[in-house]
Amino acid sequence: MFLMRFTERAYVAYSAEDVKNSFRSSVRLTFPNGHFNPALGADLYNEYLDEYEYADEIGFDGLMLNEHHNTPTCLGAAMNLEAAILARTTKKAKIVLLGNPLPIFDNPVRLAEELAEIDMISRGRLVSGFVRGTGIESWATNTNPAHNRERFDEAHDLIIKTWTTPGPFRWEGKHYQFRVVNPFERPLQQPHPPIWIPGVGSPETIVWCAQHHYPYIYLETDPQVTLDLMAFYAKAAQEVGYEPGPQNFGYLVRVHVQDTDEKAYEVGEGFLIGNAGVGRVPLPGDFMAPPGYNSREATKRIIAQYRHAARPDPLYGGVDAAGWDKVVESNRVIVGSPDTVIKKLRQVLATLRPGILGVWTNDGTISHKDTMRCLQLMEKEVLPALTELGKELNLPGPFEQAP
Amino acid sequence: MPTNEYREQFIELAGARLHYLTGGKGKPLVILHSVEGNLGWRLYLQQLAQHCTVYAVTLPGFGLSERPPWLETFADLTRFTLWMLDALALPRVSLLGHLMGGWMAAEMAVSCPPLVDRLILVDAAGIRPQRGEITDIFLHGQEATRKLSFFDAQQTPEYQELFGRKLSAEEREVHAKNQENAIRYCWKPYMHDPTLPFLLPRVRVSTLIVWGREDRIIPLECGERYRQALPNARLEIVDHCGHSPHLEKPEEFARLVSEFICG
Repeated sequence: MFLMRFTERAYVAYSAEDVKNSFRSSVRLTFPNGHFNPALGADLYNEYLDEYEYADEIGFDGLMLNEHHNTPTCLGAAMNLEAAILARTTKKAKIVLLGNPLPIFDNPVRLAEELAEIDMISRGRLVSGFVRGTGIESWATNTNPAHNRERFDEAHDLIIKTWTTPGPFRWEGKHYQFRVVNPFERPLQQPHPPIWIPGVGSPETIVWCAQHHYPYIYLETDPQVTLDLMAFYAKAAQEVGYEPGPQNFGYLVRVHVQDTDEKAYEVGEGFLIGNAGVGRVPLPGDFMAPPGYNSREATKRIIAQYRHAARPDPLYGGVDAAGWDKVVESNRVIVGSPDTVIKKLRQVLATLRPGILGVWTNDGTISHKDTMRCLQLMEKEVLPALTELGKELNLPGPFEQAP
Repeated sequence: MPTNEYREQFIELAGARLHYLTGGKGKPLVILHSVEGNLGWRLYLQQLAQHCTVYAVTLPGFGLSERPPWLETFADLTRFTLWMLDALALPRVSLLGHLMGGWMAAEMAVSCPPLVDRLILVDAAGIRPQRGEITDIFLHGQEATRKLSFFDAQQTPEYQELFGRKLSAEEREVHAKNQENAIRYCWKPYMHDPTLPFLLPRVRVSTLIVWGREDRIIPLECGERYRQALPNARLEIVDHCGHSPHLEKPEEFARLVSEFICG
């Protein structure tokens, strides 16, 4: 089993009132950047990098990063920069980017070059994930949401070709046109760095992943819903001639370990305001999914095809909207002492059987000090137990068995 | 008497089924709608149909009109609509457009001057203001945009019917589709064409520009810029009126337009 560590890298030095008084009361996209203190930001970036480097030292297989724009909920606006730093300062762990939001890049060839450099500097430790990005990313970069999926598909194809086809060549596509694709720098890993795709369960994306043999990483989706979605992947995989296994699936879950259950419960509640912002003020729906982001025609087709095959998330609104007690009771966030966490994770692993487990250790108001203690306890007790669990349950990761 | 009789028609063009409403008698007047889509045979159209044959077209991707899959940009939309008028056997028309439709009318007049008999631009997009900004209606969202669009909803005769009631599921579906395609065509540069002002001197036909003085979507300054760029244009400002004078003050609006067309 492949164990990777994640944090969203939140900035929380603002108030719920600040959010409510801003344009459409939104913490993302339009929340004024006058609320950002660069001196505090400098401290945070360095702390977050310290945590990742420590995670590498203590034996995590992967360091997972993500990217969002125009939001204090994630400081990873230029995720590839952080990846480049970690490529140089860490030694063993894979650098897992989940992921570059392809549609917002007007120059996918430049992205291919950046990722090639990260792969070489890290000596072949890059996992290059791609995402569509939320609607916020489209707004922030003025990328037409009506073209989101088409740009994702075309940018993906162009990047793969850039990595694998000897240049120079031309690309005259619908959204991208390049006359001389010939970046001199090529990735170290052959034929190219592995590609994983994270998401919250778009059937269209899941099927596309299966067709490409890309592992799909479920981002803290309800376990039963996850099983439903895994069935879509399996069916699509079978249609192209293979049987997927644990190496084709990942699951990200928020996990916080402290010396006692009580302390973990108290500290872990800080998770709730990370991804959703201080005050957890609901976002305007058309910021996350502006008109055109999900084509009406495609949505109708998907609902017709998959409606009866996947149940809705029983934790209405997901982890970020529900109350802390409910979230902990339902094991959607796992907090506790090392023993408690190991027990709860055993249940998750036995049910979902992922070959990739993402452990989201901190967010929101969880301090750097508490995060480091969490990582220390993970090193001593949780990681060894999870490694054994992976073997006991026969959960090969994608570096043990090809997806 | 207002002409409230009209016919609902369809034509096929480039594999797409296109919808329009038509009624009235006289020289052809083509109506180009805004981002809300074809709002139907409204009061102002009923008035104008006394003096013209009105063609209220539903642009591709809106309402009951299909969008050919290759039709993506505002330029595509303009060229396709020119083609649609050929298909309707309308070699010379008056064009009336509001917001997005006004921008289209200007682009069509620039691209094909012999087509246009009279040009009417109503709180039209297409030109970027130099002092203010065109309100980002997609960022503001539907509810806020509605509030910004009218000076006084109470004085708008058809407001309740158009905007003040709960939509059916089918109407919501149409609305979502309209929004999707409005974004597709108008996203970037947002609601304007940087080169349009330089091409407008080509349009020598009589042009009436109508603007609500209290337009909070497209500043009045844009109406003035259109007037300055077009060689033969006049600007009529409707007082105590927001972004949609054809809806907010339909009688005054219809009088201005019919006097212009018939005069």
